[in-house]
Amino acid sequence: MAGLELLSDQGYRLDGRKANELRKVQARMGVFAQADGSAYIEQVSSIKGSRSRTLHDRAVINCQYSMATFSTAERKRRPHGDKKSTEMSLHLKQTFEAAILTQLYPRSQIDIYVKILQSDGGNYSVCVNAATLAVIDAGIPMRDYVCACTVGFVDETPLADLCYTEESGGISSLALALLPRGGQIALLQMDARLHQDHLEAMIEAAMTACKGVSKVLDEVVRQHLQEASSLSKE
Amino acid sequence: MIKTEKILHLKSSRGRKVRVVREHYLRERVPCYSALCQGDCDNEGKVLPGDLTHYVVPDVGIVLDFLEILEFRELQGIIFTQTACQAVQHNKGRRQYNRLRNLLKDARHDCVLFANEFQEYSYCPREKGESQEKWQTRCVYSAAVWYYNHLAGMKNIVMVTDDSDAVAQYSSLNSGVYVISMQEYLHNFWLDVRAALELYSSIAQALQEREGEVSEREYSEHLPHELLEAGIKSGRYLLGILNVNKHRAQQEATVTTQISSNKNISGDVLVFGSKHRNRAVYGDSVVVELLPRGEWRGRATALTETQGEERSAEDPSSQTMPTGRVVGILQRNWRDYVVTFPTREAQSQSRNSQKILTVPWDHRIPKIRISTTQANALQDHRVVVRLDSWESTSLYPNGHSVRVLGRAGELETEIQTILIENCISVPPFSEAQVRLRLLPIYLFFSEVTARRDLRESHLVFSIDPAGCEDVDDTLSVRSLSGGRLELGVHIADVTHFVREGSLTDLEARARATTYYLADRRYDMLPAVLSANLCSLLGGVDRYAMSVLWELEADSLDVASVWFGRTVIRSSYQLHYELAQALLNGEEAQVPELNPLTPEERDHRLTQLTQALETLTHVARHLRAQRDRGGALELEGMEVRAQLDSEKNITALVPRQPLEVHETVAECMIYANHWVAYKIQEAFPHQALLRHHPPPRQEYFSQLQESARAHGFSIDTSSNKALALSLEQAVDPQDPEVNRLLRMMATQAMSQAMYFSTGALPADQHYHYGLALDRYTHFTSPIRRYADILVHRLLMKALEQEAGLGIATASNRELEETAQHINNKNRAAQRVQKLSTELFQCLFFRDRDPQTDPSCVSDAVIYGIRDNGVLGLAHCDWTILQKGVQKCVPFSDGRVKVRISVLSNRCHADSLLLQLIRNLPHESQSPAPGQSQPKVQLVQEVRRQAEEASQQKASLKGRLSREERQFCQSKQPNLYSLLEEIRELALMDAEAGAEKMCATTA
Repeated sequence: MAGLELLSDQGYRLDGRKANELRKVQARMGVFAQADGSAYIEQVSSIKGSRSRTLHDRAVINCQYSMATFSTAERKRRPHGDKKSTEMSLHLKQTFEAAILTQLYPRSQIDIYVKILQSDGGNYSVCVNAATLAVIDAGIPMRDYVCACTVGFVDETPLADLCYTEESGGISSLALALLPRGGQIALLQMDARLHQDHLEAMIEAAMTACKGVSKVLDEVVRQHLQEASSLSKE
Repeated sequence: MIKTEKILHLKSSRGRKVRVVREHYLRERVPCYSALCQGDCDNEGKVLPGDLTHYVVPDVGIVLDFLEILEFRELQGIIFTQTACQAVQHNKGRRQYNRLRNLLKDARHDCVLFANEFQEYSYCPREKGESQEKWQTRCVYSAAVWYYNHLAGMKNIVMVTDDSDAVAQYSSLNSGVYVISMQEYLHNFWLDVRAALELYSSIAQALQEREGEVSEREYSEHLPHELLEAGIKSGRYLLGILNVNKHRAQQEATVTTQISSNKNISGDVLVFGSKHRNRAVYGDSVVVELLPRGEWRGRATALTETQGEERSAEDPSSQTMPTGRVVGILQRNWRDYVVTFPTREAQSQSRNSQKILTVPWDHRIPKIRISTTQANALQDHRVVVRLDSWESTSLYPNGHSVRVLGRAGELETEIQTILIENCISVPPFSEAQVRLRLLPIYLFFSEVTARRDLRESHLVFSIDPAGCEDVDDTLSVRSLSGGRLELGVHIADVTHFVREGSLTDLEARARATTYYLADRRYDMLPAVLSANLCSLLGGVDRYAMSVLWELEADSLDVASVWFGRTVIRSSYQLHYELAQALLNGEEAQVPELNPLTPEERDHRLTQLTQALETLTHVARHLRAQRDRGGALELEGMEVRAQLDSEKNITALVPRQPLEVHETVAECMIYANHWVAYKIQEAFPHQALLRHHPPPRQEYFSQLQESARAHGFSIDTSSNKALALSLEQAVDPQDPEVNRLLRMMATQAMSQAMYFSTGALPADQHYHYGLALDRYTHFTSPIRRYADILVHRLLMKALEQEAGLGIATASNRELEETAQHINNKNRAAQRVQKLSTELFQCLFFRDRDPQTDPSCVSDAVIYGIRDNGVLGLAHCDWTILQKGVQKCVPFSDGRVKVRISVLSNRCHADSLLLQLIRNLPHESQSPAPGQSQPKVQLVQEVRRQAEEASQQKASLKGRLSREERQFCQSKQPNLYSLLEEIRELALMDAEAGAEKMCATTA
């Protein structure tokens, strides 16, 4: 059937959310012992592991993005270094160069590895959120949380946090990474056509969504701290 | 919000089955849209009233099969579940789904949508091994139960399903929730809605038939949807709308391709024969596959008699064109059709099966098979039917009857037929729609102070056809202190009375325009508004929307412009002849001045004359400005009715177009133009404008050929060039030639259309005919809905300027409305043309063509085909008899013809012209008489129509009731008459001259 109705007349989306509602986010920090810091985030039922190593001579940030073969509906072998993941790695790198206080680590390299375990849309933004948690877990100082969110545009309404069906529905979407406290934009990416007049509304919606995400992340971090401190007390 | 997961089994693009897990969010608060709600739901928009006996929740199957019944306005309190809506979307396609959506949006229907699958307690996940149907039924039932509990048991809920297992399973589970079948439901609750019951049995029968059918195949199967889409993408198939040739409906159809990725195919694809058409019906969006080049054929150019049987012999065809066959249908585009039941003799063979082949009124639609038990009662009647299906095993599509219109050949039946065939529904206005805000008669002080008061300061007057009752435009002009001029156009403030979203507004939007038929009109607004409250009558205070320009004294450039709401009092209600007489300095009686003393009268008269003169001066300047840009003037003729004291028409005389017509029109165009600027400036993407795309060059070929035959050349490269060369193409001996050429140019024009500015790139906003870069309709809100929209937009633009944040309709909504208005306008034009033809046929039907002198008239030949010629007699393009091609070179294609009626039981009658003799050019009567025949015809048809209706009224008492119902003003009203005649003159061909002609502005 051609043209799924992404936003019904009553204002519901396909999965029952309203236009500005985010998906439910669940996250854990400190999942792996091998890495300096790691996190698992489920916003899309996707997992990201991330660890950072300190090496070499200056604060270079190195990102690697990959997807598990079983991450999408159809199994597909995904070799490393294909065009898509290289691009994604580059985006992540740019985002985090803007957020991490790199000058504090001269002559070192920070590696961020992200792996999508299951993908249901918004890969980039979930990667950013997961990496943020991992970097925090590793104790690397950042200017602020980096929160990202995708926003789509349907029937003159911006939809926050697209799921896979919405993303593939042929609508123009935009990904935005934000440092919420200062309201600075770390990265803005869009490769669809959109009228200039609507851009402002989209960015506005994306910023609100990012702020929502940052609240969730903040809670996760605080809870993790509490757990960790109570553990260490014992 | 609670998150669950939904497991779906879908087919992937390669056809493999995939198990997909999707997130699914539930919430506690889902609005119930009931007035009885106990949990203060967030009920916005439509709300079900609390005073009904019950609410009804139809099952998925019911919504799929019997949506038509649920569309009856009498059925109230319907709750559609989301489950059912989704099923409609998946199983029935977009068209049916949109119908359901419109039903839900329409405030006149008492029905709401409940998002049951997003409600925490009414959602039930599908269990393992449960069939889709069972699960859907369970979902709907649980929604019904939720409603009962949510309303705290105050309202009984009836769930309607045709699944007998479900009735047995659920009916005794809950006390307040009844589960019954559709038939039972209609019998128990809506026994008085007979039409619904009849429709039910008709549909049920059609459904039963469908199940019990097995026979061999008549057509090849359609390909599955995925294959079609893949084929279109790869360029193997082409997508387009099927268009059937009216004159050879069984054989020839073309598909107008939309975007063709296939480079060597441009334009239309021919589909020849019913096998290749493969069950597609006129208007469907189909997918075609091209045949190998060897099988391509040409379009037939020979004339056939309209009734003629298909000839098996090869027609001599023109050059071959791409030919294809239909492999699948993407979207059916079925509407209601009017059919005629055959007579008893023709029925006899098929009697036993109870299935009857009926013949649609529209030639382009195939015969429709209908199962009915009332065949005897219905013979020779016109009946509205709907198509249900067309299986590959059946030669003809299956349908069911919806309602009976009446006996074929009767005036009332035929008029209704024309309306339904064009999808126009004009029920009489209901109480509530007329009631609106019944205050006015006098003005409110608060309202007056909020507006600019022009009653004392401005001399306002209107110029309309004599006897006009809905005056929607008035003019004013005055000199300001600095030598500047102030020109004002004041338009009736309809939006003050018709609030957005009110019942009146909804009805007006649905109608979109006032329909002018040959003998009646259907108003867009109730008569209270159109003829009284909104109408800017002379001597009374009225609200208006005004545009005031300040013009420089000499150059007449616009110094400033003011838009806004005003109060005016029109001082003079002039008509065109009177105004022209004043301008010419002739003695004229202005009725408004009669009671005054002579000195006073003279003073006032000079004042008025002066104003008119200034106005004319300004208008000339504006016109010249537009002419420089390349505005076109196309042929139109006006007719004036002479009345006796009782307002009966005694004669129609042709009128020389007066300059004052042009003056008024020019001012209106100017106002429209400026308003268009204003609203586009304020809402760059949501303004309703009107554009007129340049015509396609190939349409001019006939015009150029004809012009060449007379020794003229027509340059069609731009509107300016066209206007210029048309002006030069004047044969001093035969003024008729220029008129004809202009008419042919009109035919070549494309149609002017409304659009929302966000939907088209800026370079397509141009109005070709008027040579303006932006144009809209602002000046006739009483009879056009577009103008009402523009008024609202203008008001919002002004409020926005004043710093109020105002939300307007989105671009998409506006574009939808614009398309709707365009469609309705087209339908209105067609209806008008058809009804005129109907009356022509009624006129000639009772006359013997051999003896009656009125059946012989002059005609002009405008085109030659292989075996005949196309001729023009009076105002009507008609096919001449075949076999006369040796008679004429075009240049002196004057002939005498005899007119007779080709009557046709199932379709509309048509006129047949028979050639009697050639007229040598010299013997043609001189210029003054040329327009006479046309005018006479109009007059006679008119009289005939009146006689007919009077006869009917006197003979049959039962008809008079219907007449009261349909004719909104019983005595044909003068305005409609004038309107009709004018439009008739303008629209010699169906290509609407409306957009071209300044007078309609």
